[in-house]
Amino acid sequence: MNYFVIGYYALLIGASCTAAHFQSRKAFLLLFSLTLVSFIVGIVGGESALWTITVFAGVIALCVGTSFAFREFLVIVGWGEFSKAMKTAPLTASFGLFIIGTYAIAGVFSPIIAPYGEAEIITSAFAPADENLLLGADQLGRDMFSRLVYGARNTVGLALVATILAFLMGAIGGLVAATTGGWLDQFMGRVVDVIMSVPSLIFALLLLSIFGTGVTVLIIVIAIIYSPRVFRLTRAVAGNVVVMDFIEAARLRGEGMWYLVRREILPNSTAPLIAEFGLEFCFVFLLVAGLSFLGLGIQPPTADWGSMVRENATLISFGEITPLFPAGAIALLTVAVNFVVDWMLFRSSGLKG
Amino acid sequence: MTGKKKDVLLDIKDLRIEGYSDEKWIEIVHGVDLTLHRGEVMGLIGESGAGKSTIGLAAMGFARDGCRISGGSIEFDGMELTTTSEADRRALRGARIAYVAQSAAASFNPAHKLIDQHTEAPVHYRMRKRLESQEDAMELYERLRLPNPRDIGFRYPHQVSGGQLQRAMTAMAMACRPDLIIFDEPTTALDVTTQIEVLAAIRDIVDQFNTAAIYITHDLAVVAQMADVIKVLLKGDEVEEADTETMLKSPKEDYTKSLWAVRSFQREQKSRPTGDAVPVVSVQEIDASYGPTKVLDNVSFDVYAGMTVAVVGESGSGKSTTARVITGLLPPDKGKILMNGEEMPPSYKQRSKEELRKAQMIYQMADTALNPKVRICDIIGRPAQFYGGLKGGALKSRVDELLDLIELEPSQYYSRFPPELSGGQKQRIGIARALAADPTFIICDEVTSALDQLVAEGILKLLDRLQKELNLAYMFITHDLATVRSIADEVVVMKQGKVVEQGPKDVMFTPPHHPYTDLLLSSVPEMDPNWLTTLLEERGVDNVGEAADV
Repeated sequence: MNYFVIGYYALLIGASCTAAHFQSRKAFLLLFSLTLVSFIVGIVGGESALWTITVFAGVIALCVGTSFAFREFLVIVGWGEFSKAMKTAPLTASFGLFIIGTYAIAGVFSPIIAPYGEAEIITSAFAPADENLLLGADQLGRDMFSRLVYGARNTVGLALVATILAFLMGAIGGLVAATTGGWLDQFMGRVVDVIMSVPSLIFALLLLSIFGTGVTVLIIVIAIIYSPRVFRLTRAVAGNVVVMDFIEAARLRGEGMWYLVRREILPNSTAPLIAEFGLEFCFVFLLVAGLSFLGLGIQPPTADWGSMVRENATLISFGEITPLFPAGAIALLTVAVNFVVDWMLFRSSGLKG
Repeated sequence: MTGKKKDVLLDIKDLRIEGYSDEKWIEIVHGVDLTLHRGEVMGLIGESGAGKSTIGLAAMGFARDGCRISGGSIEFDGMELTTTSEADRRALRGARIAYVAQSAAASFNPAHKLIDQHTEAPVHYRMRKRLESQEDAMELYERLRLPNPRDIGFRYPHQVSGGQLQRAMTAMAMACRPDLIIFDEPTTALDVTTQIEVLAAIRDIVDQFNTAAIYITHDLAVVAQMADVIKVLLKGDEVEEADTETMLKSPKEDYTKSLWAVRSFQREQKSRPTGDAVPVVSVQEIDASYGPTKVLDNVSFDVYAGMTVAVVGESGSGKSTTARVITGLLPPDKGKILMNGEEMPPSYKQRSKEELRKAQMIYQMADTALNPKVRICDIIGRPAQFYGGLKGGALKSRVDELLDLIELEPSQYYSRFPPELSGGQKQRIGIARALAADPTFIICDEVTSALDQLVAEGILKLLDRLQKELNLAYMFITHDLATVRSIADEVVVMKQGKVVEQGPKDVMFTPPHHPYTDLLLSSVPEMDPNWLTTLLEERGVDNVGEAADV
């Protein structure tokens, strides 16, 4: 029994009692059940297990603190509608925004932030981390941290462009299909069915092996693969709007299709579309990473998180966590984007106009 | 009513309820007292937003999401509902207090049979075994005069009609023989002819079991039939309370008097122009169908400038379909639509801008008729811009002029969004949008049926004034004969896609009528509290259902 363990339990029990005193049911239950769990974990796993719990709790507390501070920051800095929305936003949303913001800065200013070039070989292969190499070196002796920062630009940038393209194609198609109906709707629907019936990764492999693996081709292929989902969603959402009386009124006025789509239907379908944009972005992002992993995505020596995982995969068998950094970067962004998307879905679900 | 035990069942004192909006709690019910004795029926009336339903729910110790009971006491049979635990209150609901919602169609679970939903509460509270409860349900169905009482329970909600569903719901509320039933506008969504059946059934069953009831409605004539005591509410405050007779004969407060006066709005009837005036719209021998189903059969009528033709009938009689044919949304199978003597192309797609401009439409549900994401100035301005080619300052002054015309202050409403407006204001915007096209003919599709009586009266007066100023022709689709009485010049009665009878209003409202017109007319509730009793006696109680099939 050392001071750490004594302090650990004393703190938990003290906190539980404080929570109980202030009649905060939830906090008390959380703290006290953590205390009970810690007794068991402490007996089974010893002091090191308690350290793990402490570090874990510390990380969570840090995230919560950052999110809270960042939310306050956005409320103050933000303007009009956004600032008002942030006031009621959950912490997860501000956490997501914080991560996305960090990635965006890393992507835009990567040459300034990264200490070395993305293709620059500076040391021996798999060199361990030290003062100069924050995260160690990869299989060719390039700085892992620099490549991660450049990866934000390449991978995320590509995913963003591909998603926007997929959205333009899918959303316009869906809106037109819902508004006109008839054979055009049927025709577009069947084309989309055909695209969706082929597994996306196999379809991508097929197209990429025919047209080569340039960045432009990659973006177009990904956009084609993902636009059907957007098409179906848009068509369903717009389908609900099209039957409203104000659309009938506009039709009876003699308005053209373009006006109907732009002024009457689109403003009433943006919320689910924006939310879907966030989700699609994650999927596209994972597909890019997956293709890079298979060697068909972004080509070396360009830094890309997917290929970084593949190139360093051998290290896993030596118990090194280096390949997990790019994988973690992907995971973190996916989680962050989904937090923000959840918040938007919540807002668009009618609780807030 | 008299001779029943007079002990207090529900005693609400100084009830205060708050609602949460714009990040703060706002009081929406300001200290209402309510005392209800066993076997007594209390009518709660008022406009929407008066807090009727909120108080009704509070009588069960329940507040909707976003609402909370912030003060006062609710004592039900000696039990204080504001302080008892949620579990105890839950044990009351369904067993001792039951609730009948406005839309039975939306309140029944479509995936279960009626009788299974009926037996749920008694079985849950262990009052009866399942089979016993089913027997009981059949008995209740019989008392409520549902057809085939032994079999109807085994149908799914979508397999029975709206009126039957509402009665099944009442039976369900009765399942545990509660002491108190809260009826929240149970007949508002029904046709006049169906409404009678439900009203008669509810009144009988409440009488038979000596159940107390709170009857919430905005229809005074209905409440006159049902209630022993009437309480009038306005914006969360009590206006006055008295027993039905006194309340109807000598209301004290001005607000109550204004409610009573709504039904007396009547304008002078105009007759057709003589000579060879051409009707603005002439519907000639129209047949129309949805797919293989024929919905209109040889429909003809004329509408002259400055006149209002009311088209009446139950739902499903083809009133709205006629409107769709006139506007060109549904091209007819046979027959012609003439406007100012010229034949119109059957589909709106083939009509010219000018032809489309002349006929405009005002919709029943202003909520869905106005794009919620477009500002008022753009909603009203678009037709003016589209047809008249107005731009910039000219467009703005036209919009201001239109807003003035519908009695909304332009500076205040110019750049707002529809969801920020009340129901009546939205309907006014709908009217302004129709006027913006500078039409000669307007179709009003049940424009007042979603509104409270006072607001509806305002809309009717506005329409009447506009008609005089702009010499408009109206086709007024409605199932509410009180509206017809107040605004129509000519009446067309429709049933099952056919025109049953048509003619000037005074002729139509004086006997002899076609039997169907007679049925419609006699089904409109009147303010006389004995009206329902007299009517049922005249028709013979058992004929309530049959009469509807004449």
